[in-house]
Amino acid sequence: MEQVLVNGIYLGCQYALIALGLTLIFGLMGVLNFAHGQMYVLGGFVTYYVYGVLGLPFPLALVATAATLCVTGALFDKLLFRRVLRRGAREESSMLLAAGTALLLESLILIVFGEKHRGVPSLAPGVARIGDAFLPYSRIVVMVLAAALIVGFIVFMRQTRIGRGLRAIAQDREAALLQGVDVERYGMLGFAFGAALAGLAGSLLVVISGVNSGLGTWISIKAFIMVMIGGAGVVSGAILGGFILGMAESLGYRFFPGGETYLMLFVAMIVFLAIRPQGLMGKPWG
Amino acid sequence: MSYFRASDLSVRYDQVRAITGVSVELEEGDIVALIGANGAGKTTTLRAITGLAGLASGEIFLDGQRIDGLRPNAIVALGVAMVPEGRRVFPFLSVMDNLLMGAFLRRGRRAIAADVERVFERFPRLRERRSQAAGTMSGGEQQMLAIGRALMARPRLLLLDEPSLGLAPMLVQEIARAILAINREDRVSLILVEQNSRMALRVSSRAYALETGRVALEGASRDLANDDRIRELYLGG
Ligand SMILES: Nc1ncnc2c1ncn2[C@@H]1O[C@H](COP(=O)(O)OP(=O)(O)O)[C@@H](O)[C@H]1O
Ligand SMILES: [Mg+2]
Repeated sequence: MEQVLVNGIYLGCQYALIALGLTLIFGLMGVLNFAHGQMYVLGGFVTYYVYGVLGLPFPLALVATAATLCVTGALFDKLLFRRVLRRGAREESSMLLAAGTALLLESLILIVFGEKHRGVPSLAPGVARIGDAFLPYSRIVVMVLAAALIVGFIVFMRQTRIGRGLRAIAQDREAALLQGVDVERYGMLGFAFGAALAGLAGSLLVVISGVNSGLGTWISIKAFIMVMIGGAGVVSGAILGGFILGMAESLGYRFFPGGETYLMLFVAMIVFLAIRPQGLMGKPWG
Repeated sequence: MSYFRASDLSVRYDQVRAITGVSVELEEGDIVALIGANGAGKTTTLRAITGLAGLASGEIFLDGQRIDGLRPNAIVALGVAMVPEGRRVFPFLSVMDNLLMGAFLRRGRRAIAADVERVFERFPRLRERRSQAAGTMSGGEQQMLAIGRALMARPRLLLLDEPSLGLAPMLVQEIARAILAINREDRVSLILVEQNSRMALRVSSRAYALETGRVALEGASRDLANDDRIRELYLGG
């Protein structure tokens, strides 16, 4: 049982990081970023190249990943979403665009990085024993990094002028405009940060289980589940959703090693959303 | 030439004309009122001034500079702040963070902190609630916060959209006093939109009465308060 708990927390840290990026973009732009999983995969590949192939230090790989994904996110906003959102009175247009960007990014990743599964050398060999549970050191490193990124993000959103501006836009876009916030520029910034969070989560994953170009959709689906559980656009909800999914997955795989875990999760989610459609923390940006 | 002049403003939402040929002028240091029934076009006029609503025609000048066509953030930077209809405080930000949002385009921590202090002196209740989420406060407190937030921008021209809406008579008095104090002490020029015409005509020196998107009547507030048509339409006989 302790093993289930330890695995759940480990997964939860990573999942929360993924969900945070998705919820940030949703809160700011009202766009569900279908390409979130592909951004995560792109982050994994950048880290694979910088750390695994070029042999540069891991922290440098993290910086390179964050930078690459910031640019990707900013371009997504500037070239695609901003144009459609400006015109489109219909929500379907941005939904379709979002679905299209996922396919686009997945194909680009396939062309550039190929279809092979790629892994990198472990960050720290060895296994720690926590009570009756075992946790490899590399997973501890990943967990601590993910937790640090989450805390850093929350502090940034609460304590800085830019963070305050982003929260204000999510709560009342027009009122934010009236305070002088350049909402288009900040929307781009939010898209960039959200993409960077996805990419960094990918960086962390590649150290543990490697990456391949087909992972994206599945990660996006998980991210959607987390955000739906927690409540879209809410920071605390994303984190809660991440840990709930992490724990549920860990628990599920303990008793049902096959594919039943997610089947049950989906059923549970349908029931849950029928009862509480706004999610656990259903309010924007607490 | 007037300090502020909006001439011949027309705004359309899709095919519907919200305002047609509205002109408003304001001398520096003055308070001007826009009165009129629900749907007359008061809010739309203010939205046109702040750049939130695009103009189908018309020009807007502030202190000799043309401001129509600028983006809202550029207009704020030139010293135009608005207290929007329905207050529109950021509900999940604290009172303090709401005030800091008002100073979003300003630099200089000290000056901003000093201005927060001045808002707290003007509205002591906000000081007590500084760490509370704005959305949990009463309507009157939210209105004070919305005004305080707008003042944090150090505006030269302040636009207030129905600040008395939904407030108890005593609070309306308090808001009216605050509006006069802001005008006199901070030397801020004001455009006050109100359905509460009695209050608006009392604090303003000039007024415009809007009807279905047009200026139906304009003049000194004292004259309008005595005008038979205005008395009948807006002051209840
Ligand atoms: N977003 C909008 N879309 C369509 N019509 C609008 C919109 N906002 C206002 N209108 C219309 O424009 C007219 C003026 O509205 P408004 O400026 O809000 O009036 P007031 O503030 O005097 O109550 C009304 O007929 C209203 O129905
Ligand atoms: Mg109105």
